[in-house]
Amino acid sequence: MAISKEAYKGLEAIVGKEYISADPAVCEGYRAGPGGYECGLGYERVMTKIPACVIMPRTTEEVQKIVKTCNKYKVPYVPYSTGWYGPRSHCHVDDELIIDLKRMNDFEIDEKHLYAVVGPGIIYSQLQEEAMNRGMYIIIGGGGAQCSAIANMIGDGWSPLSYRIGLPHRRILGTELVLPDGELVKMGSLATGDDPFWGDGLGPDLRGLLRGFTGHRGFLGIVTRMAIKLLPFQPERLEPAGISPHTTLMLPEKRVKWINFTMPSKDAMREAMFEMAKAEIGGGVTKVPIFWRAIARANSKEEFWELWSKENEETISSFHLLRVLLIAFTSEEQMEYEEQVLNEIIAELGGEARRTRPSDESWFKNADSAGMWLMCGGYVSVDYVIETIEHAIPHGENYAKLKRNYTPPLMPDYGDPGWFQSFELGHQGYSEFLVYWDPDVNSDGVDQFYLETSKENIRKRFYTSLLGPHQPLYLTGPAYGPNYHEWLLKIKNEFDPLFICHPPVPLAHDEFVKRAEWMKPMKDWESPI
Amino acid sequence: MLKGKVSLDVTRLDNFEYDMSKCIKCKGCTWVDHIYMPGVTFSTRCPSATRYLFDSHGAYGKMRIGIAMLEGRMDYSDKLLEILYACTLCGACDVGCKRNLDLEIELSLEALRIKAVKDGKGPMPQHKKVAQNISKEHNRFGSPHQNRGKWLPDNIKPAQKADVLYFVGCSASYKNPEIAQATAKILNAAGTPFMLLADEWCCGNMLYSVGMVDEARELARRNIEAVRKTGAKTLLLSCAEGYRMWKVDYPKLLNIATADLGFRVVHLVELVDELIKKGTLKFTKTVNLRLTYHDSCSLSRLSEPWTPWSGERGEWGMVSPSLERRRGTNGVYQPPRDILKSIPGVELVEMIRMKENAFCCGAGRGTQEAFPDFASWAAGERLKEVKAIGAEAIVATCPWCKDNFAKTAKENGQKLKVFDIAEIILAAI
Amino acid sequence: MNKRDKLAEIVGGDNFSDTPEALETYARDFSLTPPAAPDCVVKPKDVQEVQKVIKLANEHSLPVVPTSSGAHFHGATIAKKGGIILDLSRMNRIMEVDELNRRVRMEVGVTWEQIISHLEKRGFRIMTPLLPHPLRSAVTDCLEREVITNTVYDYGEPLQSMEVVWPTGEIFRTGSASVAGYPDSPSKGANPSGPGIDFYRFLQGAQGTMGVVTWANIKIELLTKMDKIFLAPVQDLGYAIEFLYKILRLRIGQECLLLNNINLAAIMAEDWAKDFPKLRKSLAPWTLVLVISGHQRRPEGKLEYEEKALSDVVKNEFPKIPLAENLPGLPGSGKKLLAMLRKPWPKEVTYWKNRYKGGCQSLFFITRPELAPKFVSTMEKIAAKHGYPASDIGGYLQPIEHNRACHLEFNLYYDPASRSEVERTQKLYREAAPLLMKEGALFSRPYGELAKLVYDKANGYAQTLKRVKKLFDPNNIMNPGNLCF
Repeated sequence: MAISKEAYKGLEAIVGKEYISADPAVCEGYRAGPGGYECGLGYERVMTKIPACVIMPRTTEEVQKIVKTCNKYKVPYVPYSTGWYGPRSHCHVDDELIIDLKRMNDFEIDEKHLYAVVGPGIIYSQLQEEAMNRGMYIIIGGGGAQCSAIANMIGDGWSPLSYRIGLPHRRILGTELVLPDGELVKMGSLATGDDPFWGDGLGPDLRGLLRGFTGHRGFLGIVTRMAIKLLPFQPERLEPAGISPHTTLMLPEKRVKWINFTMPSKDAMREAMFEMAKAEIGGGVTKVPIFWRAIARANSKEEFWELWSKENEETISSFHLLRVLLIAFTSEEQMEYEEQVLNEIIAELGGEARRTRPSDESWFKNADSAGMWLMCGGYVSVDYVIETIEHAIPHGENYAKLKRNYTPPLMPDYGDPGWFQSFELGHQGYSEFLVYWDPDVNSDGVDQFYLETSKENIRKRFYTSLLGPHQPLYLTGPAYGPNYHEWLLKIKNEFDPLFICHPPVPLAHDEFVKRAEWMKPMKDWESPI
Repeated sequence: MLKGKVSLDVTRLDNFEYDMSKCIKCKGCTWVDHIYMPGVTFSTRCPSATRYLFDSHGAYGKMRIGIAMLEGRMDYSDKLLEILYACTLCGACDVGCKRNLDLEIELSLEALRIKAVKDGKGPMPQHKKVAQNISKEHNRFGSPHQNRGKWLPDNIKPAQKADVLYFVGCSASYKNPEIAQATAKILNAAGTPFMLLADEWCCGNMLYSVGMVDEARELARRNIEAVRKTGAKTLLLSCAEGYRMWKVDYPKLLNIATADLGFRVVHLVELVDELIKKGTLKFTKTVNLRLTYHDSCSLSRLSEPWTPWSGERGEWGMVSPSLERRRGTNGVYQPPRDILKSIPGVELVEMIRMKENAFCCGAGRGTQEAFPDFASWAAGERLKEVKAIGAEAIVATCPWCKDNFAKTAKENGQKLKVFDIAEIILAAI
Repeated sequence: MNKRDKLAEIVGGDNFSDTPEALETYARDFSLTPPAAPDCVVKPKDVQEVQKVIKLANEHSLPVVPTSSGAHFHGATIAKKGGIILDLSRMNRIMEVDELNRRVRMEVGVTWEQIISHLEKRGFRIMTPLLPHPLRSAVTDCLEREVITNTVYDYGEPLQSMEVVWPTGEIFRTGSASVAGYPDSPSKGANPSGPGIDFYRFLQGAQGTMGVVTWANIKIELLTKMDKIFLAPVQDLGYAIEFLYKILRLRIGQECLLLNNINLAAIMAEDWAKDFPKLRKSLAPWTLVLVISGHQRRPEGKLEYEEKALSDVVKNEFPKIPLAENLPGLPGSGKKLLAMLRKPWPKEVTYWKNRYKGGCQSLFFITRPELAPKFVSTMEKIAAKHGYPASDIGGYLQPIEHNRACHLEFNLYYDPASRSEVERTQKLYREAAPLLMKEGALFSRPYGELAKLVYDKANGYAQTLKRVKKLFDPNNIMNPGNLCF
């Protein structure tokens, strides 16, 4: 497995000997699985390969040259910031180049105008710390502090704090995108100068190319630089405390506070979210899935299972824990005011405050996202979507029903209907459905469940994150838009006529269904694949 | 073995098949704990990943390479050996991973080296040279064995019989006698009689660390026997690497628990901390220094006692019986800090990356011998941090750290005082 | 059947016109864009008719110029290459008000006047630009990224999902409205993004060149329960802007803006002949307008803590900002302005931008707020060169999202009946724009002549934009002659 000598020489000349390698051991280090997000599953086994070559550029110019060289020699390539997203971020074909962007870690911050400029090598915890040191904050997406900020901003990008801050799409400012054919397009205010402070425009907004609801996972070019909005926070420091594994941020209680409430019913939780939103209070709000609480309490996998085995359908269906974040942006008096209003709402709905630790390890720095893999070793979110709270709740309930048919191999969750949140002060709602399984036993059922959820969304007219590259394009395409896939493929063909930018994405899941024996029976839609 | 019988025995790589195959590539092994993340500088704690940059050189790459080795898909090469050995086994990866998961990263890395040696491919030629030195002269330098005790000042007499046995180690015996001398003087001043081994041999740290497990085990048996014979209740070390070797890897090699050694293994800082708090030792002199403390890996992250374990792995990957994993929580972090803070005149300013987030000096466990440039580079990175916090001196608890920092500071023209903590303590009593 | 007849058949004879009088109405607008008459005007009633018109236009490569408002200021609906005016004003249904999710879905023909009063009756409000023309399409203003007066909501733009007819004639729904059968679905259309790609971005700021939006979901808010307005005369614009950096970052305020004396005078004058000259003379060079509001629960509590924080900042850091409920010498001015800010401009009064001289050419851009004083001074210098009195230039500074940026607008007033004034204004505009751009002004919405200026500089962007446009509009029928198309 190799790229041609000429191609290698051309690439080496761009970055220098030290930052390119075709060594088999080095390349093996870039294997997707078998562990990781969506790993230990059929897609990862069937669709991913190790690269034939790894290159690490430092600048946008180098990235452009690399992409042009790939176009010249027809070398397929995939951009890679951290590789955290799982198989979809890795090589899918033979003789492929992986463009590891970790050296692109330049950083600037404009405190007065509330933005930072980053390269793909900067991760969220770095950005959050720099922001918080200056009285600002960001959303760290559910993927965790270890996400490349850029990759997450064009891929996913939300958390319970999206209640206040909203979609990541609007937080993308001046951006540089190297198109699959090597041309560089600068967006927002970077289109006319060096100042990255503004994202919209010019005229029609080419940021439309950066992502859909979720991202392209690398099939439509490489973002090499992005200015990201920072949001005003409050002035007190969130002090890190504790020693691994129990590290946490201590919250300055007069300014930042989480409060857990037990609510009498799911309806009451939902109502609370709406009431909070109408009252325009709060910095974050989420329903807490009960197994997350077990993970937080457990000191080991075994301890988790001990705690978890004590639960059952009844305990799950009667567990309604609402977790509310209050941030006193303006002054300490704001905290007093909001807490008063919140308690009023909760009391009206029959809820009760629980003693809540004045600390956070999950959302401000999101240091514990890796804990999702503690329970079984395998984890994927089979869907997550922003729509309304009214969409979120039945969406989760629907999945819970469907999931019964696939448990086992899925971990028993006693019918837990996923979690839901309120976003953008109640204008939107969020649902996510996470599943876990033991990757060392047959996981074919998980692959099938994953595809089944897409079909269910279509049947029931739910919106979904998992469009574009995430599910078979010819399955979802006709059902949304309709025919969004035709436009997507037109754009892909225009900018990547050679189809060398992360092939065969966005048709990779179509390919997977074609190649995997256990998936073939599920194919009941028209497709040229 | 993904399911079935499994143990923490590092001589069988398949014991770690589960751990290696479940690495999720979150790079928690490389980044400073996100809670403590200081921003865009000083963000990482894995010297290998930070220096070599390719994913292959971080634990996430090594875990994947390890699976390939286990499955017979990986040919040995110079590059593979570099990946395996350009690493100080500092434990940052292990602790970082175990913040959220139950994977034995450090043990996997040890097992990979053991396999490389078993396969006749490892260790590095420079390690083999050191092994020869140890075999011939019982010290890693190859210096004459009979000179080992020359460090001892005339005015200090070790006791014939005492509760405390001071194990000096190769470095302090031959290269850094000031550490051994300071230690001895401290013990004297504290009225703590101590024995020395009549015939002290290398602890075998490097041998074990590079995977020469048979040679290391032989030394372990011999050395433990020698200490037991003296009737010592406490084995005292002033070298963090030696401390770890005795406390953790000797029991590991012999498949016993630390508690079964028959004596406590204690570092000088633990003893002095005890003595200061008891009032037996007092700091009466002023030491005017704005200094920082470097957490030597083997005294901090890697220092929790060892308990052998074997059992079964079953449903959901659970093991039984359950075990309490070593996560670096109870490393020796506080005693040296308490000591330094209580010395009049000392202004202790913490590193940006401290305790379990400390950035390894780069010297230990075979690295300096085989990859001297890397070792210099790592020390240089750490010294940048020292500069950033404005400390005039750096204090460590290990001669390897001290040497490497001193050498690198000199090479870089950095004005910096480099001390072992024994020297600071001595100056204050 | 010829094209003309086919079009008449699609929309019905009454909704088709090609008389000179009808065409003349569409040939010009309030801007200085040279007039150009279309070939005909059609007024469809629903998306099916829109689709048929577009398909026909595509077949014959006829330009289509979509329009939905009753007033136009930027020249974007003038048929520069002739063709069909697609007047969507008949499509003016407010389709649903989703109170629970605070969303309204409305057709593009719905005006500000219509939607604001409709929502007010139900206890809701919608974010608006400053005193919008009552007959402007609310959806179009959102699509065109008109800057809103509210600075506090972190989630930015109000636009959610929409229905569009692509230039090739397909009917398509963006965002979460893309589910089959919408609105008969659990999806309410609250997510603007996707499916697969962010189509909504291509439609924003597009001046009708990328497709025809027929309806959109827009976020709405509840009416505030309590408001307090603060006004402050501003002598030193830079000082006031620093003040805004501070207070807007503390999330103080709902509406917040700065208006210069001539603009505020034009807005506030009741008896024009008497009030306007008096006001423009007596008002400070700039006036800061700040509204704080209490919401549904304990509104007084919110006002209290916000006002305290505000006064702390004034006391400790910005003592020269004399915030008060009314402007000096103008009792009741606060209450009056507050009421005006929540409504469109009254239909029975000449639009405020046209009150002074009848004509108004606006030069506006996005910039860093701290640069505003420099731009003001640059404009004054250039104006002087052209013999245009600086005191006749309207000024409006709209802080955006915690003052991370601002919209800065210069209104050049002129008498459209005076040829010399028209020419002078044109010359001033043409000289000012490139100079301002050189100094950092970002014309993110390049209307008319600004397009060439901007896209020549942003050549890479323009090239990529053209590549995207070609995919959606291979025959270049959608409003050609605008932007870089």
